[in-house]
Amino acid sequence: MGTLTETEAKSDLRADRPWVCVVWDDPVNLMSYVTHVFILLFGFSKEKATELMMKVHVEGKAIVNSGTREEMELDVQRLHEYGLWATLQRDDEI
Amino acid sequence: MSGFLRSGDEKIIITLSSQEAHVLINLTEQIIELLGEEDGGLHLSDGHTVDDLMRMVGISTNDAPPIDPVLLRLLPSAYKDAEQSAEFRRYTEHGLREKKRANAMTIREALMPQDEDWDNDSPLDVAHITTVIEVGDEISWLAGMNDIRLALAVRLDIGVEKDAKPQHEKYELMVESDPMKAVYAVYAWIGWLQESLLKLL
Repeated sequence: MGTLTETEAKSDLRADRPWVCVVWDDPVNLMSYVTHVFILLFGFSKEKATELMMKVHVEGKAIVNSGTREEMELDVQRLHEYGLWATLQRDDEI
Repeated sequence: MSGFLRSGDEKIIITLSSQEAHVLINLTEQIIELLGEEDGGLHLSDGHTVDDLMRMVGISTNDAPPIDPVLLRLLPSAYKDAEQSAEFRRYTEHGLREKKRANAMTIREALMPQDEDWDNDSPLDVAHITTVIEVGDEISWLAGMNDIRLALAVRLDIGVEKDAKPQHEKYELMVESDPMKAVYAVYAWIGWLQESLLKLL
């Protein structure tokens, strides 16, 4: 993919998708469980889900999805159902 | 041997001693009760409350974060901003409580003794129960066990602060008679159970 295309795609993405869903580290939740929930809810590959889980574990939080406010509220709601500690915010507040 | 296993026909089964099953049933009942206690609200002449009516359409009139730290861990705030969080709670908390109660009920119902399974006279540590996990119920089991662990963690003071030293050390050093040591043992055991189910999926 050309650099220009990539930049364009990114700026389009930013305009349309100003909200992000953040998962915070909770020492109670098993690493394998968090990975499983990421795969289940977001359809991530095992590798991508594991990578995100490790980011939450090591850095204390990770952005797991971005989209409209309504979409992110739904993600947070579903993550709470599974006991993960999730919040949403505008992506420029990170 | 307790825990989850795949049986010959590929079904997932759980085997527990009756004592272990009792512990799990008791914990799911506590979760069901805790999540069912939504604030009363204004009583109407027909015996219903305004809350009852709002709940029928999935809206809570109480949008404040729970005061009970266990409930707050199970029903966390979605936004940093209190006002936005309250708005979110108003429309989602009731549904979230119901989902979590349903997960706990799935576990409870699978483990509740059928008349012929359990005999009150048999020694608790000898009797075992084996139950098939219905296809599709695995995730309710995982989420339900996770909720129990979250609730126990609050009581055990296993917080979300990074600095805490490994909790197992603290509890291993406790004297046997300390009741919190037993609580920690249950917490660790349910974590082990959860892991044994995850390995099969």
